[in-house]
Amino acid sequence: MPGFLIRRVLLLLPVFLAVSVVIFLILHLIPGDPVDNLVKVGTPAAKRAEITARYGLDRPLVVQYGIWLWAVMHGDLGTSIVTHRPVASLIGQALPHSLALGGAALAFSSALGILLGVVAAAWRDRWPDQIIMGGVLVGSTLPSFWLGLLLILAFAVQLGWFPVSGARGWDSLILPVLTIGLGGTALVARVTRVAMIEAGGRDFVMLLHAKGLPPGRIRLRHVLRHALIPVVTILALRIGWILGGAVTVEYVFARPGLGSTLIKGLNQHDYPVVQACLLMLAVAVMLGTLLGDVVQALMDPRVRGALG
Amino acid sequence: MFARIRTSILAASVSAAALMTLPAAGQEATFVLSTNEVGIPNYNPVMAVNTNTAFSMIYDTLVAQDADLSFHPFLAESWDEAPDGMSWVFHLKPGVKFHNGKPLTAAVIAKWIELFRKSENSYMVDAVDRVEAVDDLTAKFVMKHPEPNLLFNLSSSFMGVPDPDAITEMGDNYGISEAVGTGPFKLESFTLGQETVLVRNDDYAWESPLSANKGPAKLERITFREMAEDSTAFLELKSGGVDALLSVPTDYIDQIKAEPTLALFSIPGQEVYYMPINVTREPFTDIKVRQAAALAINQKEILENVFGGHGAVANNFLISALPESKIDPSLDISYDPAKANALLDEAGWKMGADGVRAKDGKPLSVALWTQSDSIFRRLTEVVQAQLKAVGIDAKITTFDSSTIRDQYKAGEQQLAVRSYFWNNADIVDWFFGGDRLGYPNISMFNDPKAEELRDKAMKGSKTQDERVQNFTAYHAYVTSQFPYAPIYQPEQNMAYNKDRLVMPDRIHGTSVTGVDMVDVSVKE
Amino acid sequence: MSLRRTLGPVRSALATRKGALAGLWLALVVVVAVLAPLLTPYAYDIQSLPDAFRPPAATHWLGTDEFGRDLLTRIIYGARTSLSVSVVSIAVSVLAGMILGAAAGYFGGRLDQAVTVVVDLTWSFPEILVALILVAIIGPGVTGTMVAIGVAYLAQFTRLTRAQIMTIRSETYIEAARSLGASDGFILARHLLPNALGPVLIAGMLATGDAIILEATLGFFGLGAQPPLPSWGAMMSSGSGLLFKAPWIILFPGLAVATTVIAINLFGDALIHALDIKTRLREA
Repeated sequence: MPGFLIRRVLLLLPVFLAVSVVIFLILHLIPGDPVDNLVKVGTPAAKRAEITARYGLDRPLVVQYGIWLWAVMHGDLGTSIVTHRPVASLIGQALPHSLALGGAALAFSSALGILLGVVAAAWRDRWPDQIIMGGVLVGSTLPSFWLGLLLILAFAVQLGWFPVSGARGWDSLILPVLTIGLGGTALVARVTRVAMIEAGGRDFVMLLHAKGLPPGRIRLRHVLRHALIPVVTILALRIGWILGGAVTVEYVFARPGLGSTLIKGLNQHDYPVVQACLLMLAVAVMLGTLLGDVVQALMDPRVRGALG
Repeated sequence: MFARIRTSILAASVSAAALMTLPAAGQEATFVLSTNEVGIPNYNPVMAVNTNTAFSMIYDTLVAQDADLSFHPFLAESWDEAPDGMSWVFHLKPGVKFHNGKPLTAAVIAKWIELFRKSENSYMVDAVDRVEAVDDLTAKFVMKHPEPNLLFNLSSSFMGVPDPDAITEMGDNYGISEAVGTGPFKLESFTLGQETVLVRNDDYAWESPLSANKGPAKLERITFREMAEDSTAFLELKSGGVDALLSVPTDYIDQIKAEPTLALFSIPGQEVYYMPINVTREPFTDIKVRQAAALAINQKEILENVFGGHGAVANNFLISALPESKIDPSLDISYDPAKANALLDEAGWKMGADGVRAKDGKPLSVALWTQSDSIFRRLTEVVQAQLKAVGIDAKITTFDSSTIRDQYKAGEQQLAVRSYFWNNADIVDWFFGGDRLGYPNISMFNDPKAEELRDKAMKGSKTQDERVQNFTAYHAYVTSQFPYAPIYQPEQNMAYNKDRLVMPDRIHGTSVTGVDMVDVSVKE
Repeated sequence: MSLRRTLGPVRSALATRKGALAGLWLALVVVVAVLAPLLTPYAYDIQSLPDAFRPPAATHWLGTDEFGRDLLTRIIYGARTSLSVSVVSIAVSVLAGMILGAAAGYFGGRLDQAVTVVVDLTWSFPEILVALILVAIIGPGVTGTMVAIGVAYLAQFTRLTRAQIMTIRSETYIEAARSLGASDGFILARHLLPNALGPVLIAGMLATGDAIILEATLGFFGLGAQPPLPSWGAMMSSGSGLLFKAPWIILFPGLAVATTVIAINLFGDALIHALDIKTRLREA
């Protein structure tokens, strides 16, 4: 196992470098001189030169990249142009909220999605399947901001069960989690259903049936375990969604988070913030891929056996 | 790797955990800041480009201004102006202490005034040559020229008194985790764009005579939340998530009146909505086109339909409460589509078949900038349609509210829809002064005659009456050149939950400040 | 692809109840959008402020918006914007994705590795973030939205084409063609791409549904079509602040998005069933 892990981590290094180059270049891809975004119009030439030098923008691009990467490796994500605060502290404030919302939404949509997928596969093509898959389809086609607003109207305003907005306490998580979770549920439910149907047709399942094991036990203990492999892979690959994809919901519910920090940074042309948020998301995506591989390895008896 | 990020994440999660266990009872209240006060980067009044209501909770001013625009003692017990206007002596209240325990002295005042010299707000102390500490509690302002507006400046939120040493020591970090004033509340925490939590200053004993309450404030803790959307704020108030909104959009007034638990109160507004016209950009280099664009704006239609008839139309640049707004009525700008069309014809812009005018084959197509807040987007769409009615095709570009100022600085705007919040005639100088092109002078207006009148208004007034006269003349001339079109002046509406909060009978001052907040309490 | 090969699955998709209903709805939306000027008694951009906030009634079936404009008219014109933006951007994205994916899958090697790394990474980012970043760079408006949506889905089609090409590439008849001296271009154009086309087109159709939602979301952030041009997202953006005063302003465009996207998905599912002969046989 350790050998497998080390190999996978080493494989991530070139990807990380490639990503960091892309993210670094974003500031330079945007039309216009980055210095214009750093200084106010009408700044004297001397001050402009000083700022150019301070950000190292007078050096060759490769050197600039090196300096930036070195700083990032040491935890220095730069200073926000708009708020004059260390970007690390801005991200530090946003990340816990993103993790809480994303984690809860992930848990919700996995649990509900797997349950619905198993049920739908068990009653395949009969009415429970039709109802579940139809409901799941509707849930995934509603624009999330629209759904969020309607949920606010119904549960926060009319019924008064949950807070309307903000991130204060667990109950403010429920409506945002529902809003995001419904979309995720559809994905998980579909993948689970298909995987259950496929795994159910394998030879070893026939064998278990032939041995006379109760069908319910076969389905939950053996088929589900096989069916979960693609589900986990999909979930792990989509970890970037969990952290960044909630931006619309964060906006509707006025919640702080990584996605809204990134969008605000983009709107305000606050490039250090944009770079740092993208880097955070990219790292999360890579860790997610790694996690997916590891979990897949642990769950798949053949791979586990090979690791021996 | 990532060591520093980890510590800040830890710190953040600790503070988040602390928030979640916050007790709900006691003298605690949550206010929502007005949407135009959202996004303050720090609580440093000297460097601030904008301030919000919380500034006046943290910082007291030397002088307090009441709703009738009269001045009252605050940190200064009394003051004397020299007969020639060349010096002012302020007698400080004894026993005033900053949140860090340092006493407020005349020497502190002198240091603080010097801090303004390098900031964008330096114009507030331009007339002051220096401040001399006569003794610990006597500060003498020696003037370069008479400044009848000094008391107004000293009462504004930008001139709340901070500990100047704290600002010097902390530099850019000042006003983020720590802000040191003498006000009735201390800064406990500030999360950018989210909320500001203040706790009571238990040593407070130097309230303004305008406050009914003596000694420390009744509330123990105030949370000011920032919400980008008015609808969210309204829903929070309705569902009990917050106790008060410091500004209510006119769309929600009827609904708040219909709610038995909510109360609404209005104070005269200080805001004016207007459309700056860039005089340096074609086709607006032609005064006739500028005048036509200004006359195309139907103020009454906007008042009735966009703002539900609440507030008043604006016919010039200043709020009606100011004497300087009373210019020659023939100069006031109001809707006149016939004249607008005639002026455009005269200027050579002929109406085309598609309803857009053209001259020498070029369509009369202009850029119309606005900010992303919903009320501005809506108002701008109406302005777009009104301009179209006289044949001007305006293309809307929307910018983030916090970056549009930087965009203006490049000077490429043609038209924009915006508003300002101020209750003094010197706002004309701020937005049309020839040395502030781009921003704040979005109109890029730089006119020799205007500069002359401006100089006289800013520096040549010895008494208040003279100042009113000079500013009226300056304001009238600027208006006659059409570097802007006036649109609307709102009243300020606030709403609170009357089952939760006890508000003072009337609001002292021109907005809700610390002077009023010490009287607010929670029903128990 | 011959006409019969295209029409066959569509016909069998329409033969199912769900497929027929969905197809009918989609056809209706498209026809209404195309004929908009003939169908609507009102103009989409002329304001009439005294008529603002009228609830649904006989004169205005779906009510009026905050500027007194007929909401039904705006939803119909909005269909033009929303549909054309999503269809055009997805079409371009499918085309680019097929070229990239086919090149990577067929030639392999360094090119394949590079494409795979980039594609896997962008695929892991939510489309809405990719689109928001691109619109921030290009600038708001219809063109910016199209480019942003196109790029956001590029990874999906590249992956799919690549995977299809990889499976077919090693089949015997391709080997045979190569040994007979067929050029790479010929093999790709004649054998590989036509076989990969079906799944990619269906994925493109399903993605068009997602693209409508994405367009609406960008519009909700005020970044899509600029006023007075209506789009479903832009209409909901202004309606969100008026949720109480005039809920119909946000309700109806949202329903338009939802029904259209559901129809696209149902029709797409029906097509998958019609095309996937293997599954159909097994099911039977």
